[in-house]
Amino acid sequence: MMQTVAIFLDAYRELNARKLFWITLILSGVVVVSFALIGINEQGLRLIMWDVPVPFLNTTVMSEETFYKTLFVELGIGFWLAWLATILALISTASIFPEFISSGSIDLVLSKPIGRLRLFLTKYATGLLFVGLQVAIFSVASFLVLGLKGGAWEPGILLAVPLVVVFFSYLFSICVLLGLATRSTIAALLLTLLIWFLIFSVHATESGILAFKLLTEQKVTALESRISSYEGTLQGLGKDANEPSQRRAASIRHRLEDRRSEVTDTKATLRKIEIAHRAALGVKTVLPKTTETIALLERWLIDLAELPAPANNDDSTIERLAESGAFTPDPEQLQLDAVEAIRGRSVGWVLGTSLAFEAGLLALAGGLFCRRDY
Amino acid sequence: MATTNGEYVIDLHHVEKIYRGKVHALRGVEMQVHRGEIFGLLGPNGAGKSTLVKIMMTVVRPTRIGGTLLGRPIGHKPTLRRVGYLPEDHRFPRYLTGRQALEFYAALAKVDRRTRKRRAAELLTTVGMSDWADKKVSTYSKGMLQRVGLAQALVNDPQLVLLDEPTDGVDPVGRREIRDVLVELRRRGTTIFLNSHLLSELEMVCDRVAILVQGKVVMQGTIDDLTAQSRRYEITIQGAAPDWAQGDPSIRVEVLSDGQSKLIVQGSEPGPMQPILDRLRRESRIICAMEPVRETLEDLFMRAVTDPETGQVLQPGARRNAGARGRGKET
Repeated sequence: MMQTVAIFLDAYRELNARKLFWITLILSGVVVVSFALIGINEQGLRLIMWDVPVPFLNTTVMSEETFYKTLFVELGIGFWLAWLATILALISTASIFPEFISSGSIDLVLSKPIGRLRLFLTKYATGLLFVGLQVAIFSVASFLVLGLKGGAWEPGILLAVPLVVVFFSYLFSICVLLGLATRSTIAALLLTLLIWFLIFSVHATESGILAFKLLTEQKVTALESRISSYEGTLQGLGKDANEPSQRRAASIRHRLEDRRSEVTDTKATLRKIEIAHRAALGVKTVLPKTTETIALLERWLIDLAELPAPANNDDSTIERLAESGAFTPDPEQLQLDAVEAIRGRSVGWVLGTSLAFEAGLLALAGGLFCRRDY
Repeated sequence: MATTNGEYVIDLHHVEKIYRGKVHALRGVEMQVHRGEIFGLLGPNGAGKSTLVKIMMTVVRPTRIGGTLLGRPIGHKPTLRRVGYLPEDHRFPRYLTGRQALEFYAALAKVDRRTRKRRAAELLTTVGMSDWADKKVSTYSKGMLQRVGLAQALVNDPQLVLLDEPTDGVDPVGRREIRDVLVELRRRGTTIFLNSHLLSELEMVCDRVAILVQGKVVMQGTIDDLTAQSRRYEITIQGAAPDWAQGDPSIRVEVLSDGQSKLIVQGSEPGPMQPILDRLRRESRIICAMEPVRETLEDLFMRAVTDPETGQVLQPGARRNAGARGRGKET
């Protein structure tokens, strides 16, 4: 215990000595202050003391509480902590292991009565201290601002602390393994950022295929509704033997054949998209879910019912398919379906598979650290 | 030397280290260090000295090893609580002060909070760094870092201290102070293992030495024992050497450039010298000087690193072919 406390105290001193830690903290303060300066009312946004009319963003569209929670999740966490602050944190912590294992430095520590594996894991944990402290201060300050300003006393905001730390730990495990393998801070940092980009690309690809799949499903539903409608109409016209009715029936039959043919083709396309989506999801499963881990906070803080409903929600699906066969998708419904599909993925899958990836990397890095000669 | 009950503090057997399957850094090292002595390890660059020390301190994993450190198998981590270590070219975290560095490493050695604060203050005074105790180590000179490094090695009040080039970068005054610290530690029963290139330093303080060449101990023992064969008396006289001396196989004669001659007689005892002196006196020879002479550690070192067959100094560095056999003359 004494050794662990000493290593953590040393890590705190190291952070304290890094200018970047304080720069990040100041920038976090700026983000929190910006929360305090932005408000929402019936007309739109209120910036400090000026009202800015925004027809799609006011208290008639969403409650003040939801606005602040969305602001915190999207801007504070999604943009600031999960992107910019994470890059700053990686820059700050990438040197921890390359410096730790440098000649003359590692000898002093390994010669002490502390096991290598424990030393490695403790040092790894201290690397998360940077983000832990940053996000804890940021979340508590945001909690206070959102409570005092928006009346949103939401303790769930503090869930950002473990979530962002877990999110950062995926990237940090990559950085540690690369730092140990290359012994170079720059190489570890650049390769980590590259791998993060690749992970994001896989996520974007999977999301794109998912959106395409939902779009195709929407089209299939519209086609099937139209086919069903044609069949009903034909049934009505069948009893009527006059010529205009027969001509109309013939026209509908023709269109029905077209739609039936089209739905067969679209379903075939859908099956291919589903296969592609399963493949993308399979690749994504073995990788850390950075975006979805952060999105868990939104899932827990903001209920779907709190979000503005799709404007054309009352439109019949059939109306999306014109008589000519042209299909007009419902983008808001698509977005909602996508959010529901993503929210339908279990927390266990999102965190479990990501942590399994991290554990695998840590096992490799730990093995490298423990077996190496210094 | 203060060997008690014959126990070895360091007892190494057939230590081998092969790096990446091809560089044979250590080739069956056998070495024993007695309790309470200052033991010096010498060797040319790349002989494997630092590798040997790092193996004892668990920094490097041996390919093969037998033996003990403070009575426990090499690699037994809890034993390191009683061992101090100063690595060559050590690097303290630059954001720590000297005092913080000492307290940090003391905590890693499981020294309780109160003791480590007291020990840090005492040791900083001992190594002459009390005025700099609360300055960042990034502001220290090389010599100052060595002093704090020595204090770090002693902060857990160890029974055994391994020092790798402890006087590197230290000025003569500092060197003397460090020597005094080592002698005082020995007086208090601490065993010291010194790894240094400075042969004169080692000669001044070491009770026993070992010479490591190409990963193998080629000599080991007290300096007296190792230099016994080289002990001799040298008598310098005015003029040419007498005929009887030149005909005596136990006396070697050298003609000096200033008209003097030197009679060299092997041996460490003064008794056999007396008849020679009496005879020179009887012949009214002027005796300019008479002195007992022995090999210096440097002479010993050079002898150890010179191939007796070719007379060439052995190449520095480890053997690259794992099966190669080296010299094995141990004393």
